[in-house]
Amino acid sequence: MGMKERIAEIHEAMLRELAGTDEMKSLEALRVKVLGKKGDLTALLRSMGQLSPEERPAAGALINEERERITALLEERAQTLKEMARKEALKRETIDVTEPVTMPAIGSEHPVTLVMNEMIDCFTGMGFEVVEGPEVELDHYNFELMNIPKNHPARDAQDTFYVDDNIVLRTHTSPMQARTMLTRKPPIRVICPGRVFRADEVDATHSPVFHQMEGLVIDKDVTMADLRGTLNAFAEYVYGKGITTRFRPSFFPFTEPSTEVDLTCAACHGKGCRVCKGTGWIEVLGGGMVNPKVLEMCGIDSSVYSGFAFGIGLERIAMQRYGIPDMRLMYEGDVRFLGQFR
Amino acid sequence: MKIPMRWIRDYAEIPMDAAAYQDKMIMIGDGVEGYEYLGAEVEGVVVGRVLTCEPHPNSDHLHVTTVDVGEAEPLHVVCGAPNVAAGQLVPVAKVGAKLPGGVTIKKGKLRGEVSEGMICSGEELGVPVELYPSVGAAGILVFQEDYPLGADVRPILGLDDTVMDFEVLANRPDCLSVWGIARETAVACGTEFHKPEIHVKEAGGDIHDYVSIEVKDPDLCPRYIARVIKDVRVGPSPKWLREYLYGAGMRSINNVVDITNFVMLETGHPMHAFDLDKVEGHKIIVRRTVEGEHITTLDGKQHPMQPGQLAICDAVKPSCVAGVMGGEESEITESTKTVMFECAVFDQASTRLTSRALGIRTESSGRFEKGVSVRTAMEAIERACQMINELDAGDVVSGVIDLYPNPAQEQTVTASLEKITRRTGVEIPPETVVEILRRLHFGVTRDGDTITAAVPDFRQDVEGPADLSEEALRVYGYDKIPSTRLRGETTAGGRSEEMRLRDRIARVLTGLGFYEIMNYSFVSPRTVDRLHLAEDDPRRDMLAIRNPLGEDTSVMRTTLMPDMLKTLALNMNHGNERARLYEMSTVYDPAHRTAEGLPEEHRVLTLGAYGKEEDFFSLRAVCERLLNQLGVATVPYVGSEPYLHPGRRAELRCGDEVVCVIGEVHPDVREGFDMPGRAWVAEMSLVALAKLAAPMGVVKPMPRYPAVTRDLSLVMAESTQVGPMLHDMAEAAGAILEDARMFDVFRSPVLGLDRKSVAFSFTLRGADHTLTEEEITRAMNKILKVAGEKYGAAIRG
Repeated sequence: MGMKERIAEIHEAMLRELAGTDEMKSLEALRVKVLGKKGDLTALLRSMGQLSPEERPAAGALINEERERITALLEERAQTLKEMARKEALKRETIDVTEPVTMPAIGSEHPVTLVMNEMIDCFTGMGFEVVEGPEVELDHYNFELMNIPKNHPARDAQDTFYVDDNIVLRTHTSPMQARTMLTRKPPIRVICPGRVFRADEVDATHSPVFHQMEGLVIDKDVTMADLRGTLNAFAEYVYGKGITTRFRPSFFPFTEPSTEVDLTCAACHGKGCRVCKGTGWIEVLGGGMVNPKVLEMCGIDSSVYSGFAFGIGLERIAMQRYGIPDMRLMYEGDVRFLGQFR
Repeated sequence: MKIPMRWIRDYAEIPMDAAAYQDKMIMIGDGVEGYEYLGAEVEGVVVGRVLTCEPHPNSDHLHVTTVDVGEAEPLHVVCGAPNVAAGQLVPVAKVGAKLPGGVTIKKGKLRGEVSEGMICSGEELGVPVELYPSVGAAGILVFQEDYPLGADVRPILGLDDTVMDFEVLANRPDCLSVWGIARETAVACGTEFHKPEIHVKEAGGDIHDYVSIEVKDPDLCPRYIARVIKDVRVGPSPKWLREYLYGAGMRSINNVVDITNFVMLETGHPMHAFDLDKVEGHKIIVRRTVEGEHITTLDGKQHPMQPGQLAICDAVKPSCVAGVMGGEESEITESTKTVMFECAVFDQASTRLTSRALGIRTESSGRFEKGVSVRTAMEAIERACQMINELDAGDVVSGVIDLYPNPAQEQTVTASLEKITRRTGVEIPPETVVEILRRLHFGVTRDGDTITAAVPDFRQDVEGPADLSEEALRVYGYDKIPSTRLRGETTAGGRSEEMRLRDRIARVLTGLGFYEIMNYSFVSPRTVDRLHLAEDDPRRDMLAIRNPLGEDTSVMRTTLMPDMLKTLALNMNHGNERARLYEMSTVYDPAHRTAEGLPEEHRVLTLGAYGKEEDFFSLRAVCERLLNQLGVATVPYVGSEPYLHPGRRAELRCGDEVVCVIGEVHPDVREGFDMPGRAWVAEMSLVALAKLAAPMGVVKPMPRYPAVTRDLSLVMAESTQVGPMLHDMAEAAGAILEDARMFDVFRSPVLGLDRKSVAFSFTLRGADHTLTEEEITRAMNKILKVAGEKYGAAIRG
């Protein structure tokens, strides 16, 4: 058998075995069997001594070629086996990515706080400062400076909790208007969020404790149009584009002119629906130009300055926003309710 | 206030339907709650004549009738009313007709006899007795007058009208009247207001021969007007008057009383009619009551009067509560012969207080409380006398008694037109402002930019230029207010430091899975007992509300803990497996007062948690994480709050100050709050946090030299408090200590009784060099020293 034939024989045998290798170990065994110190090809190389010196170079070249071919084949096979093994491993590690997960617990602020913070963001962006005042308040600030003297019928509308003749639980956040005007010089732009109290029996839409946010602007030449512009900006910020205000004449002792402010119903965008009882509008807040009497009582020269004020009930906004059917839910603290806010 | 549109239309045209009218009125400032078409539920009911009426062959109480409703053939109608008879003119609900309560009439058979409709009773048509007196409760309604057959019954029964329900603003008591609303209507609709011409036909005599009047307390009764009617003919009111009153929600009584109610509704002036023959001494004295007097009012109730309440008295005793309710004794009856009409003005506050005190609220007291114009009272009493003439209900005695010692002057407001409009933000032409004020019945004189506006007699709410702005604006149109942005000097704005602190706390806690809760600010005084607070605990001193809704909400809270416990219990009892809750709210301290005398208020943070994953340490970890985030370094110590488990309560101190109390709820307290499972709670003062919170400062450089970790196992008494001990050991190690922690506690009989072995790990690192073995040993020795000397702990050997 000539050298070529012997090489071909080794090659054939190697190819047969190579196809049978299925892991790196058997591949390595094959490499040793063919190329190792005692391998077939190495044996062939050794046997070259039996050849004539003339034949040796050609035979050596043939064997080296074969060696390179086999090395390449082994490497190729090794690569394939590695890929197969990786694939196999990935397949083994496959999980059901659709399996349900448990979300890590996260809490949330109270719906009233959520609404309040959103409003604060809106108004602070317009240059308003947030101030807070006492919840147990002097009658003087809560009523008298708000142009509601003793025995005024407007006091009936706000059933008041009294501590004594001079101290009340504030019935609105408006006393902060007086406190602010008495301690600051215009220009004044403040909002005052906080708790207020009315002697209302508890039901789905009434609570003896609730929250309001008061707004007050005092400067030269402030007009009803500025109030409208400010509240339009608020409406868009809090309720979204296209939500605007409707002003209706109203009465509050501390503003003149006074207005009730309706916002475009966000549920139907003004088309009329169940939420707005078909009117397209939702009554949201009250406001007006600060009554010159109030300005004067609070030490502001009403011939130089004018201002507007408004008050928003936060529970009402939260109830509309989140479709909360019963105010009591907000003061009960059941996590099945609280867990829905984000 | 409810007013039938027909009545308003007597004085002002309304060229539109009720819906459009409602919108007009709302936009001019006269709120409308809604409106109701009185005949909305009655349809297809017509006038019919009973032609024949025979007993039903199969019934002992039904009748079979034929009824002519103006159609080609009479209808066969079975009727069960005992009063049905041939020849009667009756309301007939034809097949397909609708009646109140959603009833639809169908053709049917009643005991074998075909019935093609129903003869109706007043009740079935929703018509009350006082509106149509012929309605007998037991039978069908029988028309007294002649009407064409087949005619719709609604106009006949006064149901063909719409009643508007006005929501009159507190500053517009003049609109608690038909005339007031009609004046507004004319302005809103661009039509004219026509007030009736008032003429009274006097029948001679002299009022002074009938009655004498004395007002002893003119401060509470600035005006008292009286008229006397003789030869009074008390009887039912005419149909139109009954319908008007019905539409306005009042019952018809008799012509004399109806006139006083009619005039009150029309003019806004409450009136009263006395049977003058029942007035002792024919004398009226208006005075404050004195000790021991009482009045029996029209409703038959006897009211003891408190001294100082205003009463209308006769020569010997008080008989009416002034402005609130008349007296039973001088009530108008069928036998009344002589009547005195009273049209007076009573003080707002006095009427309000008396009405409150007696618990009587009437149409009259409501109006006096809100304010009745003293200047227009004469018009009202004259209108009443004119009605007496028109209804022929008596003869008006000549003369009027008008006690009006200090006539009110006409009010005028002088203002700049420019300023009036500037305030509104709307460019209303000056001549339009003048025109609007004139339409609102102001007497306006103009001199360039300055106007002087005489306030109409009926208005009491107009005091200055700002009021004129509102008048001009509401008529010109609130919808025309443009939208402008604030101008002028900018302001910094923003949240206060304390609010920002609260926001930071909320961010940390919500991130850790806590939900914010809110509770009322007032609680039951017993809550502090349920917390087992000591008798001298300052939290027992709670601010009391004088007029609470109930005992459960009668004092202002001094701690948020009871509400937290209540809420945890609620969640447990609702079957919720776990809860992490916090509340940040105000507590009130009546023992400490501000300079103004108000109780000091400060905010408190309360946390509460329960569930499988919770224990004392999980909540303490939350508290420490929060405090750490705020830059407040604390050391834990054994606590003492009485509402906490005595073996599981702690306080976190920053220096000497306790910033947080924390622990497991005491089983006794749990029982009191109906709390089935264990829960853990904590409370911190936001005032303390605000004071102690520190900004984070600058970042530390990344370490450049290696750290060394040394573990120590120390054996100590079981009672040794590891928290303070670890703190002291860390202090002792000095500046090179990077971290100190406890990682294991081991107990075994081998250690001895009441002993424990605690494993600590200390990480040491030099800021500017690699620590030498000597430095490390020195630090570890200091640690061991303090552990040994202060805590009696030794290396486990």
